[in-house]
Amino acid sequence: MSGLEELTPREALGRALADLGDLRGDVVVLVADTGEPTRARLFAERHPERYFNVGIAEQALVGIAAGLALAGFMPYAVTFAAFLARGWEQARNAVDRLALPVRLVGTHAGFSDAYDGPSHQALEDVALFRVLPNFTIIVPADSCEVYRAVMASAAIRGPAYIRVGRDFHVPVTCSLYDKFEVGRAYVIREGSDVAIFTTGIMLPCAIDAAQLLKDRGISAAVVHFPTVKPLDYSTVEKYATKAGAIVTVEEHMVHGGFGSAVAEYLSQTRPTKIAIMGLKSYGRSAKSPADLYHHFGLTPESVAARAEELVRLR
Amino acid sequence: MASYDPGMHLGSSLSVLDILVALYGTGRVKFNLANGVGNRNYLVLSKGHAVHAIYALAAAMGYLALDELRESGSLGSRLQNHPEADTPFVDVPNSGSLALGISMAVGLSLGLKLRGNRGRVYLITGDGELDEGLSWESFAAAAHYNLTNLLAIVDYNGIQLDGRVEEVLRKGDLPGRLRALGFEVLETDGHDHEQIVSALERAESSTRPAVIIARTARGRGVPGIEGTPRQRLSRDEALQYAQSLACRG
Repeated sequence: MSGLEELTPREALGRALADLGDLRGDVVVLVADTGEPTRARLFAERHPERYFNVGIAEQALVGIAAGLALAGFMPYAVTFAAFLARGWEQARNAVDRLALPVRLVGTHAGFSDAYDGPSHQALEDVALFRVLPNFTIIVPADSCEVYRAVMASAAIRGPAYIRVGRDFHVPVTCSLYDKFEVGRAYVIREGSDVAIFTTGIMLPCAIDAAQLLKDRGISAAVVHFPTVKPLDYSTVEKYATKAGAIVTVEEHMVHGGFGSAVAEYLSQTRPTKIAIMGLKSYGRSAKSPADLYHHFGLTPESVAARAEELVRLR
Repeated sequence: MASYDPGMHLGSSLSVLDILVALYGTGRVKFNLANGVGNRNYLVLSKGHAVHAIYALAAAMGYLALDELRESGSLGSRLQNHPEADTPFVDVPNSGSLALGISMAVGLSLGLKLRGNRGRVYLITGDGELDEGLSWESFAAAAHYNLTNLLAIVDYNGIQLDGRVEEVLRKGDLPGRLRALGFEVLETDGHDHEQIVSALERAESSTRPAVIIARTARGRGVPGIEGTPRQRLSRDEALQYAQSLACRG
């Protein structure tokens, strides 16, 4: 697929939905007055009859999507991740308990909507969907991965949550693999002293941190987990064994997210020194996502520093 | 029905029973159809706590053994106290959370329309659940997409969990609120089968999505709870009532 690197994550989402609509007649898209900002309108332009705007009504967005799934469709319900949380109870009681093939797509997640401040910056969404037993959770790193993950999501049995940003991304995954596999972790860089596990937009930060560590004589592996649930347990275990120390990095609260998933697994199978990096408080309005990463300590320097501490403790 | 079963909402089940009799009795919806999409009609009981009315009617019409009915609400029974995925006779399960069934019925109607199916969705809601914002989000979507294959019936028994609906939270001019959204609104006595069927016929020929407001009495037919906020009889009252029925019968 050419030209994906030039797209923003949300444009990649819109294009993927439109292309998926070409391939599958059962795909319908719902938005909550968010067709334009999520770029779901790209689907509407090609498949107007299968596109539904329910207005600013997230509970109805999810409940109506569940009803469409009962009628045999595969609904993609797309809106800001922060406000999709308002439809969580519908996701639990209608979508998850019936294991319906509804895909909830939360955009403007994390700090990608730097401008609008904490009300719009979803930092809890992964945790909210992780507790629902049937949900698959995908957190792509860049536009290529958004496109590929959305295309691959049609094959998922049961419900899925896909976390998408807005415009900010650093292209990394386009040349990393050809086909996105749900549930698979991708090894970006081998290393033996410490392993940095990331999900989503933090991937380039982890890669830069590994380079800083190399300059300090520390060999750091980087493993990217675009699927948070089900987690690629064998890869988690392999790198826990190999490196003996793990730093997880995510653009999400440190409780209940990706790092928690890694820690929950390892604490019960192979107790390993682990540092969970992410957020512990709400965001702020800022001029760019990068300003927020810097302010909240999600930088290559801080990741390298935590990794170095762990290596010294080992 | 064992009316002192703490898992059973007897009052709510009795208020909706005649509406169900009208729907099943006229063959609009049927007990003997497997779940699945097809050119048939669907029933969504959004007030899922009244599902025992469906079980009782199924038993009365010969689709459910009384032995199984007696076990309703037990761990191993498929006759759970709210409609679940394995509950028989229920097209849209998981309607225990109020107003969720309304949104799912709207999605189902939208899907059937998109498929070109001729089937209709009969949606039964309570009055109390219309407090939920989701009810109105869903109704707005139904009106906007002109879902004439959706027919909503409000079981207006005037009572919700904490008491009389007008005291808990005023419902205002309910027909007016629905009409303002674009619905055809009809009103009927919810215990008079002929009136209900006639309202259904008028609603079915409407060119707009229709809502029937059916005035009902909670606990209809059972002295001691009829028209009151009481959801069930005590064990002693139930035994006494059963005895009185036996004497009459």
